[in-house]
Amino acid sequence: MSVKELVRFDGEALGHARHTVLADLTLELRADERVALLGPSGVGKSTLLAALRERLGQRAAWCPQEHGLVPPLSVYHNVYMGRLERHSALANLINLLRPRRDAWRDIQALCGELGLEGLLKRPVAQLSGGQRQRVAIARALYQAREVFLGDEPVASIDPHQARRLLHMVQSQHATCVIALHQRELALTHFDRVWGLRDGQLILDAPARELTLDDLDTLYPDAHSSDAQPEPA
Amino acid sequence: MSAERAPGLLAGDSLNLRLARRSLGLIALCLVLLPFADLAITTHDPWAELERMLSGLLHPDILATQSLPHAIALTIGFALWGTLLGVVLGFPLALLFPRSRLLRGSCAFVRAIHELFWALLLLQVFGLSAVTAIAALTIPYAGIFAKVYAEILELTPRAPVDALPEGVGRLSRFVYAELPMVWARLSSYTRYRFECAMRSSVLLGFVGLPTLGFHLESAFREGRYPEAGALLWVFYLMIASLHLWGHRRLLPWIALGSLFLLGPWPDIDGALLWRFVSVDLWPKPLLEGNWSGLWQWFGEIPDLLPAIGNTLLLGLMGTAGSLVVALLLWPMASHHFGNRPTRMAGKGVLILMRSTPELMLAFIFLLMLGPSMLPAWLALSLHNGALIAFLVARHADAIVPGSHALPASSRYTYELLPRLYGGLLALLFYRAETIIRETALLGMLGIATLGFHIDSSFAYLMFDQAFFLLLITAGLNIAVDALARRYRPREIADTPGERGHPGREATC
Repeated sequence: MSVKELVRFDGEALGHARHTVLADLTLELRADERVALLGPSGVGKSTLLAALRERLGQRAAWCPQEHGLVPPLSVYHNVYMGRLERHSALANLINLLRPRRDAWRDIQALCGELGLEGLLKRPVAQLSGGQRQRVAIARALYQAREVFLGDEPVASIDPHQARRLLHMVQSQHATCVIALHQRELALTHFDRVWGLRDGQLILDAPARELTLDDLDTLYPDAHSSDAQPEPA
Repeated sequence: MSAERAPGLLAGDSLNLRLARRSLGLIALCLVLLPFADLAITTHDPWAELERMLSGLLHPDILATQSLPHAIALTIGFALWGTLLGVVLGFPLALLFPRSRLLRGSCAFVRAIHELFWALLLLQVFGLSAVTAIAALTIPYAGIFAKVYAEILELTPRAPVDALPEGVGRLSRFVYAELPMVWARLSSYTRYRFECAMRSSVLLGFVGLPTLGFHLESAFREGRYPEAGALLWVFYLMIASLHLWGHRRLLPWIALGSLFLLGPWPDIDGALLWRFVSVDLWPKPLLEGNWSGLWQWFGEIPDLLPAIGNTLLLGLMGTAGSLVVALLLWPMASHHFGNRPTRMAGKGVLILMRSTPELMLAFIFLLMLGPSMLPAWLALSLHNGALIAFLVARHADAIVPGSHALPASSRYTYELLPRLYGGLLALLFYRAETIIRETALLGMLGIATLGFHIDSSFAYLMFDQAFFLLLITAGLNIAVDALARRYRPREIADTPGERGHPGREATC
C-alpha cells in the first residue's frame, strides 16, 4: 500500500527570526488524511499551519481566523478574494464596482450552504462573530484547492453548526489540517490527531486509537479544572 | 536613619513634572523676550471701535454686498477644486513618500509656504484668476496629503494581506486588502482638509481674488460694519452647515456645477511663464555668476534679520499665549464643569474662535488696536488656544473622574489636568509649525514679520527678493517644526485611535 506524502518535516525547528516556537519537529502530512491539530493556545498551532501553508503553496486553501477578513468590504468581495490571483488587476478593479456575474452566482450558492444567504452585499463589519467565521470559511472553500488548512475556523460556532461546517469542508477536501479546541470533534470527524504541548509534537496518532482522556494530557490544567473536582 | 524629605518646588522626575518644567520654561522665555516686541496700542479709542464692530455683528446687513451668491459660489468652488486636485496629486505621492527622501523634502517645502504666499507668487503669472486660486490651494495641499496619507497607509493592518492567496498582484492586493482598511481614516482626513480649504479660500480674498474674504476685507477696512457683520455670519454659516451640504454624494455635483461659475481663466503666455520661473525669480548676480554682486544683493534686502527675529518672537509669543488660553478655556466646553447653558455658550465661543482664521482675527484686532504685534499676538493666542481647548475638552469628556465630591478647582488640578496635560502640550507642539506659518503670513497686514517684506517685495515687483524671502520663510518653518517635534511629549496617555497622531485634526 503506497500513501502519497504531501509534506514532511524532519527534525526541523519552526518559528520567527530569533524565537523558536516548535523545536525538532518531525511529522508528515499524507494525502487523503484529515488531521485535527490540538494544543493549548499559544503553543504554536498557527506557526505549524503557516509552515504547512508555505510548503504547500498553491495547493492549499487557507482559512485564517476572522482577522484576515476586510471588514469594510462586503461578504461577496471578501469571499471573492479567495480567487483574487486568478483574475487580472483590471478585472478585479471592475469587480469592486460591479460584481462579476459568474462569481456572484457561485458565491451566492456557496454562501447559501453556509447560512449566509441574503448577506452578500452586507459589509463584514456588520456581521456577528459566528457569521464572520463562516465568511472566512466561504473564502477558503471558494479557493477550491486540494488541501484545506484552517486556523480554528469553527472556534466560536455552536457544536451542531461546527459539525455541519466541518462536514462541508471535508466533503470538498480529502486532505485537511484544522486547528481545533473542541476535542470531541477531533475524534469524530478526523482520521488523525496531532497534539502540541510545550513546543513539541507529543501526539501523532490515528483518531480511532485515541480517547478523550488521551487528548486531555495535552492541556496542562485539564484534570484539575473540569475532569474532577479538586479534593477538599 | 534618614526620613525622606519632601521634594522642592517642581523637583522630581515624573512625566507631568517634566512637562510642567518644559512649559514654564516656554512661558519664562516668552516673558524675558517680551520687551523686544512692539505691543503699542495706537488707535485713539479701541473700545468704541469694538463696540461699533459688535453692533455691526448684531445688526447685519445682508443685502449690502453686491454679488454675494457669486462670492459664496467661488469660495466653495475654489476650495473644492483645490482640495480635489490636491488629492489627485497627493495620493500617488503618498505611495512613494516612504521611499524617497527628495520627495519628503519637497513636500515639506511646499507645505511650509502658506496658501496665501503661493497665491501671491502665482498671481504674478496667472493674474487674479481661478488658476491662481486653485493652484494656491492645490500645491501645498498635495504636499500635506502626501505626508498624511503616507502616515495613515503606514498603519494599515497586515492580517488581510497575509490571508490572501499566493500570487495576487500588487494593485489587486492594494485595492482589496489594504485601501479598504484605511479608507475611513483617509476620507475623514480629506473632509477635514476641505474644511481648512474653505477657510483658506475665504482668505484668498485678502490678496484680491473675488471670494468672500475680498468683500469682508473691504467692508471692514472701510468701516461698513453692518455689511462686514453679515459677511462674517455668512462665513460661519457656511462652515457650520458643511456637514449638510458637504455630503459625499452631493460634492461631485457641486464640483461640476461650480465649473461653470469658476473664473476668470487667464491667457497663459508660455514664454512669459518661462521667463518668470527661469529669470525673474532668481537674483541677477546669481544668474550671471557674479559672487561679489550677490553679496551686495544680500545687503540690499531691507531688515532681513529683524524680520526673522520678529517672526520667531511672535511665533514664540503666540505659542505661549495659546498655551495659557487653552488652559483657561478648555473647562468652558467640558461636561465636568458648569451647567448646560454655560457649556453651550462655552462651546459656541470656542467654535467661533477656532473657525475664524488667524489672519481675519488679526485684521479685526488691527482695526481696533492699530498696527503693532499686539493684534497678531491676540489673534494667534485666541485662535490656537481655542482650537486646542476644544480638542482637550473632548478628551476630558471621555474621562470618568475617580471621586465626584471634589470642588471644581480640585477636580481641575488633581483629577483632570494631570491626565490631559500631556495631550494638551502635544497638540500645542503640533500647532507650533502652523503658528509660525501664520506668523509669517500676518506680516501681510503690516506687522513687521517676514510676510510684510514678502508682500512689499511683490508689490515692488522685486520677484527675486520675494522668492528669496519665501525660501527663508519655508526654511524657518521647517526648522521650527523639527524643533517642536523634538520637544513634543511622546509618552502621553491617549485614546488608542489617536495614539501617535493626536494632532492630525489640528494642522490648519
